[in-house]
Amino acid sequence: MTREGLTRRDVLKLAGVGGVAAAVLSGCGPLAKHVRRHPYHDMPEYALPGKSVYFATTCRECPAGCGLVVRTVEGRAIKIEGNPNHPVNRGATCARGQAALEGLYNPDRTRGPKQRGGREISWDQAVDAVAAALQETPPEGIAFLLGLAPDHLAELVYEITQALGAPPPLRFGGLAMMEARETLTQAAEAVFGQKALPTFDIARADLVISFGANFMETWLSPVAYAKAYGAMRQGHPGRRGVLVQVEPRMSMTASNADLWLPAKPGTEGLVALALGRLMAEVAGVEAPAPFADVDPAQVAEQAEVPLAKLEKVARYAVEKSESVVAIPGGVVLGYDNGADIARAVLALNALMGDLGKASRVFFTPPAGGQAPLPPASFQDVRSLVDRMKAGKVQVLFIHGVNPVYELPEALGFADALLKVPLVISFSSFDDETARYVTYHLPDHTFLESWGYQRVQVGADREVLSAFQPVVVPVFDTRATADVLLAAVQKVGGALAEAVPYKNEVEFIQKKVADFRGRNDGIYQASNPKLFWAFFLQHGGWWTKEATAEPVQGKVVKVGTDKARFSQGDLHLVVYPHPLLGDGSQANYPWLQETPDPMTTVMWNTWVEINPMTAAKLGLENDDVVRIVSPYGAIEAVVYLYPGIRPDTIAVPMGQGHTALGRWAKDRGANPVALLGAGTNAAGDAAFAGVRVRVYKTGRRHQLARKENVVGVYGDGRRIPVTKHEAEAATSKHQE
Amino acid sequence: MGTPRSQWKKAVLTVVALVALGGLVLGATWLYASQQVPPQPLEFNHQVHVQQLGLSCLFCHSNAARGKSAGLPTTNRCMGCHVQLEPKTEAEKILREYFEKEEPIPWVPVAIQPDFVYFSHQPHVSKGIACETCHGEVGQYTIAPDLSKKQNMGWCLSCHKNLAPEHFTRLSSCETCHK
Amino acid sequence: MAGGNGHEHTKWVMVIDLDKCNGCNACVTACAMENNVAFTGEEENAYGRGMHWLRVIRYWEGEWPNVRVRYMPMMCQQCSNAPCEPVCPVFATLHSEAEELNIQVYNRCIGTRYCANNCPYIARTFNWFDYEWPEPLNFHLNPDVTVRRRGIMEKCTFCIQRINQGEEQAAAEGREVRDGEIQPACAQACPTEAIVFGNWQDPNSKVRQLAQSQRGFKYLHELGTEPKVIYLASEKHDF
Repeated sequence: MTREGLTRRDVLKLAGVGGVAAAVLSGCGPLAKHVRRHPYHDMPEYALPGKSVYFATTCRECPAGCGLVVRTVEGRAIKIEGNPNHPVNRGATCARGQAALEGLYNPDRTRGPKQRGGREISWDQAVDAVAAALQETPPEGIAFLLGLAPDHLAELVYEITQALGAPPPLRFGGLAMMEARETLTQAAEAVFGQKALPTFDIARADLVISFGANFMETWLSPVAYAKAYGAMRQGHPGRRGVLVQVEPRMSMTASNADLWLPAKPGTEGLVALALGRLMAEVAGVEAPAPFADVDPAQVAEQAEVPLAKLEKVARYAVEKSESVVAIPGGVVLGYDNGADIARAVLALNALMGDLGKASRVFFTPPAGGQAPLPPASFQDVRSLVDRMKAGKVQVLFIHGVNPVYELPEALGFADALLKVPLVISFSSFDDETARYVTYHLPDHTFLESWGYQRVQVGADREVLSAFQPVVVPVFDTRATADVLLAAVQKVGGALAEAVPYKNEVEFIQKKVADFRGRNDGIYQASNPKLFWAFFLQHGGWWTKEATAEPVQGKVVKVGTDKARFSQGDLHLVVYPHPLLGDGSQANYPWLQETPDPMTTVMWNTWVEINPMTAAKLGLENDDVVRIVSPYGAIEAVVYLYPGIRPDTIAVPMGQGHTALGRWAKDRGANPVALLGAGTNAAGDAAFAGVRVRVYKTGRRHQLARKENVVGVYGDGRRIPVTKHEAEAATSKHQE
Repeated sequence: MGTPRSQWKKAVLTVVALVALGGLVLGATWLYASQQVPPQPLEFNHQVHVQQLGLSCLFCHSNAARGKSAGLPTTNRCMGCHVQLEPKTEAEKILREYFEKEEPIPWVPVAIQPDFVYFSHQPHVSKGIACETCHGEVGQYTIAPDLSKKQNMGWCLSCHKNLAPEHFTRLSSCETCHK
Repeated sequence: MAGGNGHEHTKWVMVIDLDKCNGCNACVTACAMENNVAFTGEEENAYGRGMHWLRVIRYWEGEWPNVRVRYMPMMCQQCSNAPCEPVCPVFATLHSEAEELNIQVYNRCIGTRYCANNCPYIARTFNWFDYEWPEPLNFHLNPDVTVRRRGIMEKCTFCIQRINQGEEQAAAEGREVRDGEIQPACAQACPTEAIVFGNWQDPNSKVRQLAQSQRGFKYLHELGTEPKVIYLASEKHDF
């Protein structure tokens, strides 16, 4: 085509010039610069324009109870920082805590109380509905399902259910399912004589042997453990603690280990027993009963780990270490013999004591002598579902948990919900469960809330960690405790007498009043008002001195039942996403954008497959595969993962939402769909007892990963992913 | 090589395009010229407060000595005095309306910096620089004039460049004001 | 080696102990929340257009079953002899003599991307688009940090806004900046205390002491960039 007349290109050029001129002249005019400033009508005493105001509060993105200090500027929360004095996290925060502001200011939050079908209602109508539910339902037909945080709400609900004569609230959630807290608690009771979650003082241990405990990602109190890990490695001059991890899939915790032993799934308990026997042999004493019953050579063969490695670990434990801890947790407790594995591993701690090693296990003393309401076991939730299915539950209140998403479909929670005439959710988001509810009465997010959390694990002293609002509520939400208390007052009579609190703050003030009499706290106050001010200022109450003492366990009998698995080719490890946790934070864009530590993948669900297995199945990176278990099927994108057993695949939990918000919805897959509803001997979910088959779909999806597309020029500048490549890259630079 | 017909067509198209472009530029210029800084919600008179009554700047802009922003007085601060005064002028009446509605007064700032400029009053005030040095003879103003055009980077540096070398390094460094 | 010569042009130094670093990525999120770093979504990230100022490099080592992992947080190394500086045609990336840092002046940047091309650490990110924080998500944006628009290069600043604020605070109180008083967001969040930040000119500072370690090294120092981030190598026990 010859260039004749005015071409399209010329017109575009002219339009471009004109457009730029128009934009510059109008967009940069005097008006573009001007804003309006709205000074306070009445400025709070503490506010200075342009200066930050800091509020101490507690993180509720997981139940660990880390202390936070939130920076606010003129009424807006700007940055989350760790509370440097808090005994759990000592100033540090994890990625999930950092991103909490994206929950507070999330555009997809539920903005006000609603009825089924999305019709907006007033808070008065909401309170009426709750009051009617409490008044008109026979007590045994009322059920509360709560999350593991906050504790003050659980305690208030407990009082209400006691006054009504209703069953006590169940506390559960996806993270609780993956942590198998009941299993650990029962094993601790058997070995240490205390029915509570043990804390392992890895900071002062010379050798840590972790059996599946992913204690630096999501397990129980990850920031406390990460802090201790730093101290274990380089905290004591001349002494560097060593970490050994036994589990089928290399978790982020295992990736930091000096030795990773990928034992065959289900044999971890035997490995613990074999290690115990070897240690006793090195020490020259006769191993006690459960340890003596195993033959290390046989175990090594069965577990597919080299006997030489086990011997070396045993020798290191006996000859080089003053203290050794063995931690059971994570996926290892998720087999149907998980309860035995927990006992075997804890018994190993007891054996180390018998061999003269210092104990590094302690129990966090419960704040004020009152343990928080313990979480339910999977078994308890299953019986709730059975009662719901049988039509025995007329009213179900749900707070702090998203059961339709977090619990296996095999449990049938969603179907059971349809049998409950009245379901009331207090979720701050339009989550999967909220679709099934009659009323959705959104609670504040924790940054707008009052409350407290009794620290259960990770602290060496009593800690009552305080919540306070750091900003005024962003939307028309209301504290669940206030809604319940308003309803209680509306019902009146004996119930109002038994639960005599005007509002949430009064309830909390009554609950913390006893601490004022204590003279071992970090502060003393002469009157309740001053105590309350100190309580909020410090972010809670804890004792000046560490009071937790190491405990000595006793060797107990351990069952040696083999783990049973469903039919299939490959073992399936489902683990909570290190950043999204159980998925409740999947709508926080920066948690989606933060690369997964191990795979550097963002914004999607991947399936980790050993490169050797992938080669056998003809799979490559970015292939979409269909994973089928006896209970369900999902599709996920292949990530060739060197740190996993060839007979195992792993999928993180946290994505695959069908609701929750724009950044979470229709993204990735939820591997919980693959899990069964079976339990172990302690009543916790046997979520690791599943085997699956993997099918190639022929489709591909490019995973967003940080590792090979760093920089502004994309694919062309792949960064070195192995040490060999790094060295090659370095030498190239030198050439 | 075009035919006469196509050349004719080209000329017409060019004229049309130029007219369109001219119209666009004219329109934009009109937009630019017609843009006015919005009026203040009420005609606050600095002359009366500063020159006649002798109020210190810090009485109302109390944060200037200790923070980044000098701050605008709260409505309550205004009413601390005005509550005892019969509202006579239009401005006083408007003030009272805002007070009674318990609403902030939506002021239009006259000394405003772009988003990428980080100015802090505190170090300037603590070095003894008088408010008038940057804000002009405020005591003479009836209505404060728009200073945003005048207060540009060259104007900032007109002081900074005269500083002693040990201060100049730091106070001429980009990151002092841009971050 | 660290702590040797060539430190006369050094003020702020970061020491990262790779033996403590567990790769958790809390620093990445903390950095983003402090510095108004935009999120760009799956497609853009797959294309290599993530805006992370700080990333944790993960190295796989060895073959099954003796697989090991090493982590290395990587951000702008604030080179004393920075390859990005001489190539900028508009002096938008330049050296601050006051703080001895490599600074990025957004209002000067015209987006040639020469600097990113020349950075051996791949520490710079470019705003290919205007990214959004849908209301009310924008409420948490840090008022002390400019929100960058399309066509602007950006990178880690060692949290220059915190440094300036700390210095101003100390000056207002008529004292020197205390060691540990100024902390960038990554060091403040770090759960394992792997990241330590401080002033090299203070002979008692923690960074100065940590840099004495035999494990110290500077990444790609052979290029002569004179980075101000000192890594302490991780040492694994071999069983």
